[in-house]
Order: sequence, then C-alpha cells, then structure tokens
Amino acid sequence: MAVESLHPASADQQWGGGKSPFNVSYGKLMMWYFLLSDAFTFSALLISYGTIRFMSPTWADPNEVFNGMPFIENANIPLGFVSIMTFILILSSVFVVRAVQEGHMMNKAGVVKWMFLGILGGAAFLGCQAWEWTHLIAGVDHGHGMTIYRNTFGAPSHFGQLFFLITGFHGFHVFSGVVLNIIVCIQAAAGVYERRGHYEMVEKIGLYWHFVDLVWVFVFLCFYLL
Amino acid sequence: MAHHHEPLDPAVYKSQVNAVWKATVWLTVITIVEVVAALIYMEMYEAGQGPRLLLNGFFVIMSLLKAFFIVGEFMHMRYEKRALVLTVLVPTVFLIWFIIAFLWEGSAWLNARTFWEVIG
Repeated sequence: MAVESLHPASADQQWGGGKSPFNVSYGKLMMWYFLLSDAFTFSALLISYGTIRFMSPTWADPNEVFNGMPFIENANIPLGFVSIMTFILILSSVFVVRAVQEGHMMNKAGVVKWMFLGILGGAAFLGCQAWEWTHLIAGVDHGHGMTIYRNTFGAPSHFGQLFFLITGFHGFHVFSGVVLNIIVCIQAAAGVYERRGHYEMVEKIGLYWHFVDLVWVFVFLCFYLL
Repeated sequence: MAHHHEPLDPAVYKSQVNAVWKATVWLTVITIVEVVAALIYMEMYEAGQGPRLLLNGFFVIMSLLKAFFIVGEFMHMRYEKRALVLTVLVPTVFLIWFIIAFLWEGSAWLNARTFWEVIG
C-alpha cells in the first residue's frame, strides 16, 4: 500500500552508528579535518609571505640571516643551526610514532618511554627557537636587531614581521603539542588507557604532533631554502 | 563498555617499526641534501645569480617528498581507507590556485610600483 511509504523508516533502515565507513573513530576523523583546516591557515600565512616577497624589490638572503650558532661567537655557519632544529623535530615525531606503535601492542611502559622522549624533543626544539629569536632580536654580532619594525638585512621590515608571525604561530603549535603530549604521557603512565582498553588517544595527539612537523617542512622551505 | 583491543600481531608490529625507521632515514637524508645544495649554490654563485629557479624547483619537490613521508608513514595515511584519504587530500587542490593567484598578484604589484617609480 502507498500509505506504508509515508511511515517513518523502520529501525533497520536507519544508520544506528557502529562501524564507520572510513574505519576510524569519530575523534580521529575530526582530528584529520581539524588538521586540514589548520593546514589552510598555515598555507594562507606562507602564501602571504610569498606575495609580499614578490612585491618587494629586495629581500633578505637566508644564508646571511640564519648563520648563527649557540656557544660560537660570530659564527658564520649558514643554515647550520636550523638543520639541527629540523633534525630534532623529525626525531621527536619519530619517537611519538613509536609511542603509537607501542600503544597498538598494549605496552604501557613503551608508550610512556617513547612519549617522554617525544616531549624532550619538542622542548628542545622550543629552546632552539627561543635562542634563534633572541639571537635575531638582540644578538650582538654583525648588526642583528631584527624586530617587527625593522630589519638589518637589506629587506623591508616585512621580513621580520612575517618571520616572527609565522615561526611564532608554528612555535605556539609546538608548545600546545608539548602540553598535549605531557598530558597523554601522564595519563598513559597512570593506566587510564590501559583501563579504557585502547591507546587511541596517543594516536590522535600523535596526528597533531606529526602535523606540527609537517608544517615545519614548509616553514623551513619558505624561510630558509627559497 | 570498554572494547578491548587485542595487541597487534608481532610480525605486523615489526614491519611497521621498520617502515618508520626507514622513513626517518629518508627524511634526514633529504634535509641534508637540501642544505648541501643550498650551500653549494651559495659558494658557486653571487646572490641573485645562477639557475635559482632550478634550485627552488628542486627544494619544492624535495619538500613535497618529505611531506609524503610524514603524512603517509608517520600519520599512517597510507594505510587508511581511500575515501578518508580523498576527503583530506582533495581540498588541498585549492592551494594550487591560491599560490599561483597570489604570487601573480605580488609580482604585478612590484611591476606597477616600479613602472610608476614609487620605488627605485
């Protein structure tokens, strides 16, 4: 009868939750979409860097700007320090992947150990960035003194503004990531995930942490290489 | 309520761990190659001289390769369902337009300002 079709769909016609078509949990899927939107934010920042650089008749030479090294006065090691920073962030990312893998094995001690190493790597990266900023703003050798109002490398003050804005925004992501990693590490050590029966939270926070590493690849490309 | 996950098969675990260390070596080697290329270029040419475009193209391709290792292996995307991969990756196609349009605009500004002698 035609009237039948007007009735609300019967229970077996409705999706009652359960298995996701993407085979991931809601939380993990939303982390992916959050990261996609964050990727657009960073893209917008880096593309405005490109636009302003293309608008400017002169620009700073990265080999000249980024040649300092801690503990070495008047160092002239182009790209040396930033290579170390990049390597630290890659290693930190790897440590967190190892924590995720130990989580798949339900190995609590392994998760805590690798997560702790990942936190150390993130903190080391932040320390490096703090040194680099200090060096560029207040470093005494070869006339540094780059701020958001001026720069001393023969380029418009935009260079300093964009550098501090973008590396600062990335650095804040690193900082948030370290805080989240610390929370996950403590919860794992306290047995929260063991009781829950899975270590998916390590995966979700891990995704965020790898994204921070991914963004650094492009910050490194735009500011230090191109 | 707790749906306990069984530990992974040790053989799968082992192969995944190896894949991650391999990706780490790749990322490190690519970064070293990039920095060495930048330094060789700096030694060979004055700033603003030489085949800069070629070098920049090399840097962009190498960075995309690094992104592939990070997203594919570290973020485990290579092993996700194809539909999930597409919903995340397809929107980034807009970036191609975004980059071309805005860099174009930037150089148009420079040309206009140079033509009208706003800047030297």
